[in-house]
Amino acid sequence: MDMNLMLPFLVFFPMVGGIVGYWLGRNNKKARNLFASAVTAIVLLGCIMLYGKEAYFMIPNFCGLGLQFSGNGFRMVLAVITALVWFFTTIFSDEYFAKNYRNRNRYYLFMLLTLGATLGIFLSADFYTTFVFFEIMTFTSFVLVIHDESKDTIRAAGTYLAVAVTGGLVTLMGLFMLYRIAGTLQIDLLKEAVYHAENKREFYIAGGLTLVGFAAKASVVPLHIWLPEAYRVAPAPASALLACVLTKTGLYGVFALSGAVFFHDANWGMMILIFGVITMLLGAILAVFSVDLKRILACSSLSQIGFIMVGAGMQGILGHHNALAVNGSILHFVNHSFIKLALFMGAGVIYMNTREMNLNKIKGFGKDKPLLKGIFLMGILGIMGVPLWNGYISKTLLHESIVEYIHILQEAGKSATFFRTVEVLFLFAGGLTVAYMTKLFVAVFVEDGESAKYKGKYMNSASATVLTISAAICLLCGILPHQIQDTIAEISRGFFFAEAPEHVVHYFSWVNLQGAIISICTGAVVYLFFIRKCLMKKEADGSYTYLNRWPNELNLENKVYRPVFLTILPFLGALVARSVGSIVEGIIVLLKTYIFNNDDGKVIPPEDAYFSLYSHDAGARSGFREGLAKSLLFFGIGVTIAMLYMLL
Amino acid sequence: MESSFIMLLPIVFPIIVGLGLLTVKFKERKKREFWVSAVIILNALIALAVIFYGPKEMFTAFRFSDRLSLAFRVDGLAAVFGAMVSVLWIITTFYAFEYMKHEGKEDRFFGFFTITFGVVLGIAFSANMVTLYLFYEFLTLVTMPLVMHAMDGKARHAGKMYLIYMMFGASLAFIGFIFILTYGTSLDFVMGGVLNPDLVAGNEQLLRFVFVMAFFGFGVKAAVFPFYRWLPSASVAPTPVTALLHAVAVVKSGVFAIIRLTYYSFGTDFLRGTWAQSVMMIAAMITIVFGSTVALRTPHIKRRFAYSTISNLSYIIFGVSLMTPAGLTGGLMHMIFHAIIKITLFFCAGAILYQTHREYLYEVQGFGKKMPIVFATMSIVGFGLIGIPPFAGFQSKWALATAAVESRLPLAYVGTGVLIISALLTAVYLISIVVAAYFPKQQEYPAGYWDGVKEPNKYMTIPLILLTIASVVVAIFPAPLVNTLQMIANGLL
Repeated sequence: MDMNLMLPFLVFFPMVGGIVGYWLGRNNKKARNLFASAVTAIVLLGCIMLYGKEAYFMIPNFCGLGLQFSGNGFRMVLAVITALVWFFTTIFSDEYFAKNYRNRNRYYLFMLLTLGATLGIFLSADFYTTFVFFEIMTFTSFVLVIHDESKDTIRAAGTYLAVAVTGGLVTLMGLFMLYRIAGTLQIDLLKEAVYHAENKREFYIAGGLTLVGFAAKASVVPLHIWLPEAYRVAPAPASALLACVLTKTGLYGVFALSGAVFFHDANWGMMILIFGVITMLLGAILAVFSVDLKRILACSSLSQIGFIMVGAGMQGILGHHNALAVNGSILHFVNHSFIKLALFMGAGVIYMNTREMNLNKIKGFGKDKPLLKGIFLMGILGIMGVPLWNGYISKTLLHESIVEYIHILQEAGKSATFFRTVEVLFLFAGGLTVAYMTKLFVAVFVEDGESAKYKGKYMNSASATVLTISAAICLLCGILPHQIQDTIAEISRGFFFAEAPEHVVHYFSWVNLQGAIISICTGAVVYLFFIRKCLMKKEADGSYTYLNRWPNELNLENKVYRPVFLTILPFLGALVARSVGSIVEGIIVLLKTYIFNNDDGKVIPPEDAYFSLYSHDAGARSGFREGLAKSLLFFGIGVTIAMLYMLL
Repeated sequence: MESSFIMLLPIVFPIIVGLGLLTVKFKERKKREFWVSAVIILNALIALAVIFYGPKEMFTAFRFSDRLSLAFRVDGLAAVFGAMVSVLWIITTFYAFEYMKHEGKEDRFFGFFTITFGVVLGIAFSANMVTLYLFYEFLTLVTMPLVMHAMDGKARHAGKMYLIYMMFGASLAFIGFIFILTYGTSLDFVMGGVLNPDLVAGNEQLLRFVFVMAFFGFGVKAAVFPFYRWLPSASVAPTPVTALLHAVAVVKSGVFAIIRLTYYSFGTDFLRGTWAQSVMMIAAMITIVFGSTVALRTPHIKRRFAYSTISNLSYIIFGVSLMTPAGLTGGLMHMIFHAIIKITLFFCAGAILYQTHREYLYEVQGFGKKMPIVFATMSIVGFGLIGIPPFAGFQSKWALATAAVESRLPLAYVGTGVLIISALLTAVYLISIVVAAYFPKQQEYPAGYWDGVKEPNKYMTIPLILLTIASVVVAIFPAPLVNTLQMIANGLL
């Protein structure tokens, strides 16, 4: 393996570029925007150049243990996606931020810093490097989330930071333990260590702790509280970055742990699967109830992360037969990025014009805007898993992997009830996806509403181009599954040490279409009989209003986390600390009472007047008798006696 | 042997000059600044020269009896401590020139400030327990006037408290000193300890008890729980004092003395795995969590940093208490990183205080944009203290935690958890300042809120920038430093 200088370049060049851009932006905003786009373009080219190489680079001793990068297979794919997403959103940012936005210079600086850190995570070859960049990314992306500086934003960003930092520290604890048990943090070597370990209990504990930080970033339930709000309040390009890439860094960690470290480990896979199923369902349910466009997209991301986790879990459970599950999770990971890129930028276009995200306010915005409608439609059909769009391919693979394991269980004569349930829930969550996306689409593009008044040009040609391309990718990947999707899966598979599927998957065969049809039918039912009946209200003039029926009591953040972590724990901690402190204090008070006791039994407080002999003018004698000197003298005598006693 | 005499120079020179400064009244500020900075820089250069090029053997200045002598030696540990102090002293001097303008009585201040430099170097270079103890007591006395500088009620109260705590600690330490004299082969510092096994036999428990006493005795300066009270109240002192003495020189003298006591006098073989070690570790762990928790609930910025210092000093002591070379390395790393970081944080707090007379967290809302250098440096070093890679502080915490898990003591595992919890608390109490400054919740401000809220002048900003750069550089390229510290911890230097 040669040292490939491209890897450190990809990580550090955007960071340097960000600083240069900041300096440029102080004088010339136009130049800065162009420069930022150029930087991301160069990074994109660099990432593509990694294709087909076994790139490796290490910087010994850097930051202590040294950094190790590697750029093969899946890592290369991730780097390309990251760079592409960044390139597109940077171009889009130019228009999005043009109106009414302050602190753009700061945004560009931290946007590029985050790019470098994210690439650092995806290209890392050991967990130490992952962690270093993971923490950098947390803080730089915090600035992106808090950009608007409104009350809501500060609150949401605070939650984001708190969850991410706490998670990061738990991960650090896990890494300490892994490092102690295995003596290395290199992902490949850890795999060997775990695979040959006699007793895996220690590894499960260490791995579980390591998982927490990644799960927090990927916003797995119950660490998901930051995600819906953070996505909603962040500027749209930043939300796109968060949804497409930043949460995926958490999933990258989950993949590295479940695909490489806990290689073919069924127990571990089961745990991931359960978390995945819960996240998948909860995200979808939250999305059905939401009435804010960006919040729907955010909750949808949450749900899709659950889908990917299901795949990550299944590949561990399936062991050697995990080809479908591996392909499914990788492809859903990739497809979801492109889908959300198009959708969040589309949401950005709407926001840029209306300054609103509430469905009731933006109703009808897209009615006579065919281009925007088309872009949204591509993304929505993709995520619904409609055949011919990319989401269908990956969801089918994930579904098939569950079915495959049910077959295996049945052949072995074991009960498959649990996995049947998982399958049903999987299809149901798919159905909910269809339902909430239909709700979104109908509201913005079909129904009439006040926002229909926005006519004329609503985005410039540069934005239109990047949006169209990202939407087109969704369709293209779905139409040419074997050419594009299978290739991506083949490049990436090595990350999971997975074998190729035993036979080529016929995506459009009847067996595979069934799952999609069940989901779509479920979705239609939910939309028609639940959303339209319960979550919408018919007004006097015949139009519909969307209602927020989600009960406030069910807010995990406000009802549990915030009270516990902001009120109860600090109070208890301070109480314990103070009371322990006051025990010592009490002893001192007692001593004082004794030492400063005057002849007639009156307690004389240690006033500053008695501090030294000179300060008291009523004669030096009383100064000595009542002052500090007396106490010190007695104390000295006491110590001397104690010492003599011990010595003799 | 003749050339060894030079070792005394950086210790004696500032003491004499400082005493001289006390008698002189400068008419012009410029003149005083010239003389003080000349003396400090010259002395720091001499100290560094002695550390890097000076003689390594012991120099006996004075002999009281055949066992008691005043002796100096620059070994690895002394070199690290001395070099750290010398460099930071220069930077603080320049900061103090500006800062002390609003405190007044600068003649007295700089006199004692210069003397203290010599005394701290005396602690660093001392070769045996007698010398260390003498300079240790001397340090308490010369820093007293600095703590009580303002001479108002609060300052005098703080000064008195300071004195009582220090005297109490020193008395406990003195007992330790006498026992080493009785049970040891000599008083010199030798890696691995000097206890005489023939004499020790049968008295192990007593000696361990004495060790614990002496540990708490020296621990008073290092603000170990329950003897931490003096440190937060001493934050009434002028900021350069709080920054240099109560984040670096005085408190680290305490830690330094603990290292000498543990590794060079009693010896780790005698202590490892015994209850004495457990007591030391538990005290350190309690202090870590305690300091961080209280810091979190303290809105006064300087006092918050003081509690944070309490917590961080015990990180070092925790590393020391592992009694392995790796633990000592981690502790020393944290000693250096924390010195750089905390001095910067105090300077930032001082700069805010100097410019705006605001002392509380809720009073600095929105200052981030008006004082960009102050808050940028505060954020960067703050990230270091939390332990966010790649900033300083992460490596030292990593080293401490890995040393803890490698030592395989059950308590050390708990310690790792404690480090993590404390890191979390640190994150909360530091980030909340940074967030308040950059992203204020308050949207409207009363009249006069922005009075004086602007960047301080270059006397203050240049030290801040230099220190921040230093913290980033040592963080990114720690290898030379870590190698040196490892050699020291293994007794090779």
